[in-house]
Order: sequence, then C-alpha cells, then structure tokens
Amino acid sequence: MKQFWYFAALFFGVLSIGYSVDFVKDIQPIFESHCYDCHGAEKQKSGLRLDVRSRALKGGEYEGPNIVPGDAEASNLIHFVRGDDGEKTMPPKGEGLSVLEIKTLEQWINDGAIWPEGVDKVTLKDPREHWSFQPLNPQAVPTTKDRGFPRNAIDHYILTGLKAANLSPNPPADKRTWLRRVYLDLTGLLPMPDAVAAFLDDESEEAYEKVVDSLLASPRYGERWAQHWLDVVRYADTHGFEVNTPRPNAWPYRDYVIEAFNSDTPYDRFIREQLTGDLEGKDSATGFLVTAAALLPGQIGKDEESKRLARQDELGEIVNNVGEAFLGLSIGCARCHDHKFDPVSAKDYYAMQAFFSGVLYGDRELPNSKYEEPAIKLARMEAELAKQLPSAMSGVERGQVNVVLNVERFEPVVAKKVRFTVLETMAENRREACIDEFEIFDTSGRNVALASSEVKVSASGSRIQPGRHELPFINDGVYGNSRSWMSDKVGTGWVEFEFAESQKIDRIFWGRDREGKFGDRLAVNYKIEVSNDSGGWKRVADSTDRHLFQQKHIKRHAFHKEAFPAAVRSSATKLSAERDAFVKQHPGGKQMVFAGQFTSPEPMYLLRRGDPEQPGEEVAPAVPEFFGSVSLPREAGDRDRRRTLAQWVSSPENPLTARVMANRIWQWHFGIGLVETANDFGLSGVEPSHPELLDWLAAELIHSGWSLKHLHRLIVLSATYRQSSQYRSDGMAVDSGSRLLWRYPSRRIEAEPIRDSMLLVSGSLNLETGGPGFDLFQKRGGLSGFPPVEVFKKSGFRRMIYAHKIRMERDAVFGAFDCPDAGQSAPLRRQSTTPIQALNLFNSQFTIDQSELFAKHIISIAGDEVAEQVNYAWQLSFSRSPDPDERDDAISLVLSHGLATLCRAIYNSNEFVFLP
Amino acid sequence: MKTGMNSLSEMGRRNFLGNVTTGLMGVGLQQLLSGHVQAGSIGNPHFPAKAKRVLQIFCPGAASHMDLWEHKPMLEKMHGKPLPGEENMVSFQGKNGPLMRSPWPFQPAGESGKMISSMLPHMSRHVDDIAFFHGMHSKTNTHGPGCVFVNTGHATEGFPSAGAWISYGLGSMTDNLPTYVAIPDVRGEPPNGKANWSNGFLPAKYQAIVMAAHKPIRNLQRPPQISEKEEAVTGNLLSFLNHHHAAQRASESELQARISSYELAARMQLSAPEVSDFSSEPAHIHQLYGTDSANSLKSGYARNCILARRLLERGVRYVNLYCASRASGVDGLLNWDAHKTLKADYERHCPVFDQPTAALLTDLKQRGLLEDTLVLWTTEFGRMPTNQQGTAGRDHNPDGFTLWMMGAGVKGGTSYGETDEFGRRAEQNPTTIWEFYSTVLHLLGLDYKQLSWYHNGLDRRLTDVHGHVIRQVLA
Repeated sequence: MKQFWYFAALFFGVLSIGYSVDFVKDIQPIFESHCYDCHGAEKQKSGLRLDVRSRALKGGEYEGPNIVPGDAEASNLIHFVRGDDGEKTMPPKGEGLSVLEIKTLEQWINDGAIWPEGVDKVTLKDPREHWSFQPLNPQAVPTTKDRGFPRNAIDHYILTGLKAANLSPNPPADKRTWLRRVYLDLTGLLPMPDAVAAFLDDESEEAYEKVVDSLLASPRYGERWAQHWLDVVRYADTHGFEVNTPRPNAWPYRDYVIEAFNSDTPYDRFIREQLTGDLEGKDSATGFLVTAAALLPGQIGKDEESKRLARQDELGEIVNNVGEAFLGLSIGCARCHDHKFDPVSAKDYYAMQAFFSGVLYGDRELPNSKYEEPAIKLARMEAELAKQLPSAMSGVERGQVNVVLNVERFEPVVAKKVRFTVLETMAENRREACIDEFEIFDTSGRNVALASSEVKVSASGSRIQPGRHELPFINDGVYGNSRSWMSDKVGTGWVEFEFAESQKIDRIFWGRDREGKFGDRLAVNYKIEVSNDSGGWKRVADSTDRHLFQQKHIKRHAFHKEAFPAAVRSSATKLSAERDAFVKQHPGGKQMVFAGQFTSPEPMYLLRRGDPEQPGEEVAPAVPEFFGSVSLPREAGDRDRRRTLAQWVSSPENPLTARVMANRIWQWHFGIGLVETANDFGLSGVEPSHPELLDWLAAELIHSGWSLKHLHRLIVLSATYRQSSQYRSDGMAVDSGSRLLWRYPSRRIEAEPIRDSMLLVSGSLNLETGGPGFDLFQKRGGLSGFPPVEVFKKSGFRRMIYAHKIRMERDAVFGAFDCPDAGQSAPLRRQSTTPIQALNLFNSQFTIDQSELFAKHIISIAGDEVAEQVNYAWQLSFSRSPDPDERDDAISLVLSHGLATLCRAIYNSNEFVFLP
Repeated sequence: MKTGMNSLSEMGRRNFLGNVTTGLMGVGLQQLLSGHVQAGSIGNPHFPAKAKRVLQIFCPGAASHMDLWEHKPMLEKMHGKPLPGEENMVSFQGKNGPLMRSPWPFQPAGESGKMISSMLPHMSRHVDDIAFFHGMHSKTNTHGPGCVFVNTGHATEGFPSAGAWISYGLGSMTDNLPTYVAIPDVRGEPPNGKANWSNGFLPAKYQAIVMAAHKPIRNLQRPPQISEKEEAVTGNLLSFLNHHHAAQRASESELQARISSYELAARMQLSAPEVSDFSSEPAHIHQLYGTDSANSLKSGYARNCILARRLLERGVRYVNLYCASRASGVDGLLNWDAHKTLKADYERHCPVFDQPTAALLTDLKQRGLLEDTLVLWTTEFGRMPTNQQGTAGRDHNPDGFTLWMMGAGVKGGTSYGETDEFGRRAEQNPTTIWEFYSTVLHLLGLDYKQLSWYHNGLDRRLTDVHGHVIRQVLA
C-alpha cells in the first residue's frame, strides 16, 4: 500500500497532483492530524499556530512566515515537513507526512494558499480589542431611584450593580464599627478611646469627614499605605539568594514611599520619580528600579555565560516591576517567546529592557542635606580616635605608614601654608607618589584644606591623567584613586596648600587611596612643614618616628589596634571597629542609597528563547508596538531612555496606568479589586466587576491631579464603604464573595496592623520614623539561618514597616500571617488561617511580653479596681465597654490569674484582629 | 475531660474556669488518641494513583553525580589528561585543570549490577528499587538559584516549592500534624534557607512547618512562665470571647475558621511532641539508623530520618529532609560543595548520609509504607569531571547531574538518561527538573498541566510552562 502511494505521488509530483486543493477538505485534516498537538489551541511551540488563519499566515517567532502564498519553495513549512533541514523535521516525533500530503501542501501554497475566512474551528479574540487597552471612557454617573442609600457617585454604580442582581445594600454599620474600620484601613492602627468618644459625641454629618481628613493628614497613613506599595515592588533590605547579603542602604527608598503617600505626591509624579528621580531631586525614589533580588558580583560564576545570565535576570526584574506595578501587564512573560495572551512580542520585551540597559544594581550617593549627618558623625569618630594616637615627633613610636589613612598630630600651630614633601616612595622609588586626599584640620575639627574654602594648591609637578589624576583632586573632598594627585617624578615631589587666612591647625589626614583598593605609589619617607605669615618653614611631622614600613601591613589604617598606646588600646580598638563598620555603610562619610547606578546603555539584542547565548537582532528602546510609537534611536543615552519611558507610563493617555492604580486603591480598601487580578489587566486577567465605576474612578484620579487622597476620601466616605458587614442569606446565595458589595467585606487584618496595634494598646508603640530598619532577626543578612530576636527593646517597638526586611525570611511570629517574602510581586495579601498563626500569637515571647506591658499600661490609667481595668481593656482593644457576660468572666480571670492573662486572650481574639 | 470548642456552649460558659485541660484550646489527649478527631480535607487527585505521600531528601551543595551515583570509567582512564574539547574551560569558580577520577572505586550492586560508589555501602542495597535520572541538567550554576530551581521549578525567588504545590493539590491527611514538614540538618538550613520550602504566592497554609529531632516547632508549647492552669483558663476565655463575638455575626466563615485554627493548634501541641518522642522506638531501630553513632552529625541526621518516618506514618503529606546545610567559609565543610578537597569532604559527608538514609528506606519498606510513599533524592546540580585548577576538588556543573526516585509507582532498577563518557553534560535523554516533577505529580495522581494557581498574569505551575511525564520510570 505504502509503495503504491509512493509511486502514485511520484507520478502526481511530476504532473502536479492534478486537481485543485481545497483548504477545508484537503489541508485542514493534514494540519489536524500532524501539527495541532504542538501548534494548535493548547500549545504553540515556537509561537506557531496552525489552527487560526491569521496566526498561521503570520508564522512563528523565529522563522518568519512559514507559508508564502504562491511559492512553496520559499515556504519554511514545506522545508520542515520535507525534512530539508534534518534537525527541524516536522513533526519531530511519530510518523511524518506522507509524500502525497506533502505534495498536497505544496500545491495549496503554489495555488496561493487560499484559506477562506470563517472555516477555522476556533476564533481568536483580537487582543487589541481587550477592554483595558481602550481609552478611558467615563460615562455619566448612573442615577438610581433609591434616594436613601447613595452618598456619592460610587454608590450609584454599586447600587446599579446590586439592583441588576436583585440585591440591596446592607444598612450602615454603627459609628463605632465604621471608626475602627477606617482607622485600621487608613492608618493600620486602632482608634484610641478618646478618639472613639469624640467621634461618638459628634452628631454632625461632618464628623465622618473630620475623621477621614485627620487620618489622611496623619503620618501614620503613609506608614500604612506605603506597605501596600512595597508589597507590589517586592521591597527588601537584603539582596536575596544564597548569600542574602544586607542591602544596608535600601531604606531611603522605603522612606521615600512613605513620604510620597503622606504628602499625596501626584501619582503621575510618583511614577516619574521612581523611574527618573535622580533627575528630579528625588534620588532615593529610583530604588524602585532595583528592588528585586540580585546576585552580587562575587556570587556570579566566573564563566561568561553566568555573567550574561545574571545581567539578563537583573534587567528582566526591572521590566517585571514596571510592567506589573504601573501597567498591570505581565510583560515579563514575553522574555522567552511572544506573550501567549497579550499583544507583547518578544521583540517588544527586549525593546522595553532597552530603556533600562544603562541601569546597574548598586548604591549611589544620596545628595540630600537631610542625610548629611553621616559625614559629621564619621568626622567626630575619627577626631576622637586621632586624639588617642601618639603625636608626631613626641618620641613615641607611631604606626607604620599605610595607603588608607595616615594621621599626623602635632601641637596647635598658626599656619598660612602647609607643605608635604615626598622623600621616598615604596618599592625603592619605583613609581611616582600618589595622594588621593589631603585634609588639614583646625583646632575646632574643621577641614580647612578643602578647595571650597578658597585654598590655593601648588605642586612640584603633576602627572596628569584627565578625570583621574589631577592636582585639584587632592583637596576636592572625594576619596579614591580615581580622584587623586600624582607627582610627575618617581620617588619625590611636594604639594603645598595656602590658606586665604592663617589657620590654627593641629592635625592632618592623608592617604594614597582612602578606599583601600590600591597598594602602590605610597610615600614611605616624607616630611610636613608649616609656614606662617612671616615666612620660614617649620617641620611639624615626618616619617622618622614611624614603625618600619612593612608591605604586608600596607592596608592597616591609622586606627589599627597596634597604633594605639597600650593604655587606651582596648577602648580605642572598639571605637575603631565601630568606625570601620560605619565607613562600610557610609563610604566617604556619605549616605548612600541602593537606587541604581546610571551608565551609558549597553546594546540590547532580541534573545532567542530568552537565552543570552542566542542573541538575535539588535533592538532599540521602544514601548510595545501595539501601545504606540514611542521609541528612541539606539544611540539614546540612559537619561533620555528612562525619561521617555516615564513620560509614556505616566501619561493620562495611557489606558492602563490610571485604571491599574485606581483599582489597587479600591482593592486595598475593600480587600478585593474591581479587577481581581490587580497586577494583570491583560487578557488572562479577570474582567472588572464594575467596569464603568473603574473608568469613573480612573478619570477622577487623573482629574484630581492624580491625588490618591482624593480617591481615599471618595471611597471611605461612600455609603458602600459605610455598610455593615453583616451576612445575609439572600446576598450569600447570589454573591457569596461579596463582589457586588451588598455588604462591607470583613476580613482579618494583616501582620503589620496586628503587631502595630498590639504595641499601640500596650502603650509601647514607638513612633520614631525613618532611617535604618530595626531587627527582627539576630543578623541583618547573610547565609541561611536567621535566629529571631525574641525579646525586643524600644527600637523593636517601632511600626513593622520599619523592620529590616530579610528577603525570603518571614518574621518568626507575624510572618505566618501571609507576609510576602519579597520574592515575587504581591499585589494582594492572601488571607490564610493556620494553626501556626494561632501558636505564634498565643505562645510567642512577643505576645507574652506585650501582655505584661498591656496590663501595666491599663493599671497605670485605670488604677487598681479590677472592673475598671477590664472596662479600660475593652475600650482600648474593642472600642467599647464589655457586656455584662464578658465583664463577669473577664473579672474572674483577672482575679484568679492576673490582668496579663486577660490581655493575652484579648490579643488572640477575633474581634481584635478583624477589620469589622 | 472537656471536649472541643464547638461544644463549649453545651457545658455552659460558667464552667470555663473550673476546667483544667491539657491543650491550648481544651482538646484532650484522650480525645486525640481515641481517633475522635476528624481528618482534614483531602484534595482530589486528578486520577487514581499509588503514591499518597512524598519524602524528598535534599543534599545541598551540589552532590557529585560521578562520585556517588553515575560511574564514569573514562575518568579512570584519562585521569590527569585534559577534557577533550574543553581544555580551557572556565566554570563557576574559575579555570579547570585536567580530568580527575573519583577518589573511590565503584562497585556493582543489587541484581541489576548497578555500579555505585563504594562510599555508599548501605545505599547500594537499594539500587534495585531506585530509578536514577542520570541526564539531569539545570539552567543555573549558582547554589541559591540552583536550590530554588530544583525545589520550585523556577530559578528566581518567590515561587512555591514542590511540597507546597502537592499540599495544595492533595490536601491534608491529618488534623494533628502539619501537611508539609521541612527538616533542616543539624548543621543548619540549606543555601537560600526557607525559600526552599516556601509557599511562594500560595496561601500560607501550604508552607512547610520547620521541625527536626533537634528542633521542635517554634511556639508550639506554652511559655515556661505560664502555668498549665493559666494556659487553660486563657484558652477558655479566648474561646468564650470568640464564640460570643461570632454569635452576633452568624455564618461568618472566616471567624469560624480562625476558631478552628486554635483547635488545630491544640491538636498539634499534643501530637508533635509525641511524634518527636522516640522512646517507643526499639533498640534495633536505633541501631538500624545509627542514632547511637559517635559521629554527632550522623546520629543527628539519623534521628531526623526516624522523625521523617514517624511523620509519614502519621499522615504528613510531604516531608523535606535535608542532609547537610548552607555554605561555609571553607567550601565543602558544611555541605556537598567539594571545590578543593573532594576526598576529605565526601569522606565526611558520605558516612553521615549513607547508613541513616538507607535505614530509612529499609524501614519504610518493611512497614509497607513504600507502597504509597514516593521517595525523591535531590541536589541542586552536579560537579565537573575535571579538577578545579590547582586543587583536588570539582567545580559546579549545571549541565549534567543525577537525581533519583523510588517507592510507590516507580520502576526500580532503572537508569534513565546518561551524561557523556566524562560526566560533563547530559547526553542521552537529557532531563529537566520540570520533567522530573511532571513525573512526580503523575505518580501522585496529579496532572502537571492542571495543577496551577493564577498569579500575576499566568496560571503558574510547578513545571513552569514546560513538563513531560517520563514514562520509562513508571512501574
């Protein structure tokens, strides 16, 4: 039989197959039996799909069009099925196409590949018509007849939805319930009894607005809402992965986000600052770009493949962050192949990466006066340490000269000029001397050598390498070899400083490389002289009383323990270690911020299957083609790239940006978004429950000048938000998930508000804001194994957003309450209920300690009367008085086992941890 | 003895101070042991399967395939000669020297005559039950991403581990113990720590609970300063407050769930210490595992092996057992990362691993547990056939390594896939971790394509967008 077909085919092959080929009758069955397994509805290997006309004619991702109408020989499809290229014979497994089938395909293509419309068995939804990609289309607010319910536009939308389902809203919650709800929601803290009393006493309608205004104006609001954003961008204070090293300068970004929420930074500006804050005086904001886990240089393999992969991963994470956080688009899915659902091709993906190809993961100096303290603190430490070193020419031997930092101390002397003369450099004068910074201190501890204080510098001669070695770099205040002075002669040379006014000086700091990277060009034999107005030079220090130079100790700085006299050695060594740790965190005495470094962009290629080892065509920065024609030439610099993208993302014309954020705000208020999939507004996301409301809110956001507080106010003052959370059987029957909002969806509060409110009611909450985080663990980063802090001190009583967040290591007590681990973006906190939560909240040292403090706090206010204590405990925890049953039981418990026992039970109660 | 919380109202709340009970929420040991407790939810497998539970053993540090499981005679022959075609290879830590033979001979074992390192005399008795995957390859050569890749199917952090996926897919078999337990080594947690047993974006109930023979569950027991009586009355008042509160909010299921979680916690308080109490284990069992070894690393691991068996016996769905820990200042000291001194390192690690692991397998088998327990042996990647230049150790090799499985539904005595003659790259039937887990899920009655969770734009899966069941290893 097979033979027959073979000959028949040969015969037909010569003469062509002799009849006209019909797509439905002849071609579709071939595709169906041989191709659909890998190129049909289920799978589209290499992006090729043969069951849908438009996709089949477009071809796959890598081979271009597979079907060239009229030219079978030019069609890859034919090459594949014939097995012209052995490796890519299709299908790869099972029986191949028969010769007749191949010939039929050839003829079909040669005849023009006629594929009639309407014969496909599936129809693809055109992704371009997807709702979220359409411009905002706010309609007139629907009017509803129910005059009793609506308070603002939101309620008309919600009521319309309810009516359509034959449901009605719940009656309003009582005032106490609403107050607890809005306090926990907006600030993450319970209302205290005086606030409850004031609100209950105020019977005016404005009482609600007053509360909302005061909460939005409170710094506690930013501390609560910044956490939501930090969840989305997977913020952490360590780098992640195996070594999980601390990222000690990440926190300025966390503080930036808190401040941005508190000051109601317009959301479009909030976006721009996070992408280009370095250009807008908001340096910490670009921490956004580098929030992801990243391998540090030492942790990446020495092979080139590993380096390329690590870099790809870094850039990939930036695109993920921008796509998910701002656009609600899983652009990252197009890293290996065209997006399966959304109109984002692999090429679009790399064009997006190209916007960031000048961004490196790393620290940057934070040029912000608010953070100048580190320099002052360091100077103070070093002055203190210097005081304990022997003076020059005092007859006491001093430590050996070193590359990092040398201290010269002498009796105060009035000087107009200071001269440093090199007499010999290390390694037998092999090279020219180099000095990166020369600092001269007056008796008040001020560096009077700085160029900024009008000091004239001259030298015997300078070997110049522009931008690296120049004379002015010796007193420019910048450390390191890359900003240093170099003599033009091997072994010798001098440099001289002349002050505008005479100065009373007593100390000099100098080094070859204050960053300690270089171990050469060190002056080992030198003298320092001063001269006053009357002329004549006086020697104040030289190298003759220094310990013999040993190359092996070349990086031991002046404060090495050996340098201190025995009497002060132990105390000085301790301070010296503190200084070293401080320098590590604040190089050059500067506050750094982990907010990326910006360099000239590296070329970007379309990577086949996302593999850095398979680069294809070079791509230039561009937004996904479907969304517009925003693009830049390949030569564009880093700033232009980021600025261009920032403008596009933050534009009111962008159909996604405002919708995505309006939805997030809604979700964080109600526990579920109008769009359930807050990070995904693409085709695989869930459609909005109330599309008109979403568009209306997004338009409100834009028209209010992108004010998030405007949205909060609208939402929390709506009747929808004010409803009681009472279950109703008719509502449950139709809408058990409360998506239509026939009730306010009650839920457990998150880890942070639980911990913060426990501290609040126990009177121990420490409201210190900003700065480095407090410790939840006994170390701030490093290899696995993080023993938790069990007993906290005052700093540990700060709000939980100020905790130093170890990536992938959830807090030992509260982490079990669905805290995100900063691995992947967390647009929504899950609401798990587990026995581990119960064990942690019931038995942890934290709860036991807080229960004791809570009890003391109650006694300090309510006094010794147990009934009063119980009453006050209820006021603090539940914003109400106990009812008689509760009171009686509580009193007996307190009488038999003490007040702390009651406090422990309260902390664990549902009423304490539920948003009512 | 009082019964559970649900009947609290029957006995009247006035009594709560008078009742002293043993647990957090007043569940008595007797009730627990009488089997009065309802089993928890059991998820539905997609199709019937033999395997009901999983023991995953993980040897962190990248345990060498060619020094343990996959015999490479060419390394003997060409010891000291360059690796053909890759003479100047630079790998993770830098340059490589010539080929290096395994420091120990391989010996045939079992009826199948499978060649296995003589460093694993006890394990060699199980080769006829094991299906080896010798053609594994990974996408990263770095420990952190490598460990999470082998545990979660993704090389970036934040994805659910296999144990979390399977807990989600199959649910719990016991109300008294966690569904998923991770047992870290006595030396500490593996590289990347808790990311290895994370629930990722799955709900927190699917994360592993950490416990070990040397380390009880955190916060399991009442703090020492709280008396038994105080504990009980506190629990009773809490119970009263919660029921009182819930009574005014009929059918709030979240409130009920939270009340139940305290009951579950109470059951766990009673069963977890029982599971860790080995006093009922006879002497011959202790001898079998080697808990009496003078080597404290070995005896510590052996105790964890017994714990693993006791957990599986009592209905824990997934046990993740670690042998060795994170990196240390000296490579290969605390785990299998033998960069410089392979011989000394593995002569330290193999004796810790061999007898207790083999005993655990023997014990599972003799108790009939292997009938429905799937055992996996895993590590993050393999090692180079060459020495690391100037040393007697091997660098990381993501291109070829061995994993294995045995037990329920697995065809023993199988070797699927192979690296090339040097062990450098997977050559025959190269296998990804996605295929490995597709097969694991299949053995558990789960379809790797259907076990998914929507997160950030995609129905996420343990096997990412990949997968394929390796039928050759199915019994």
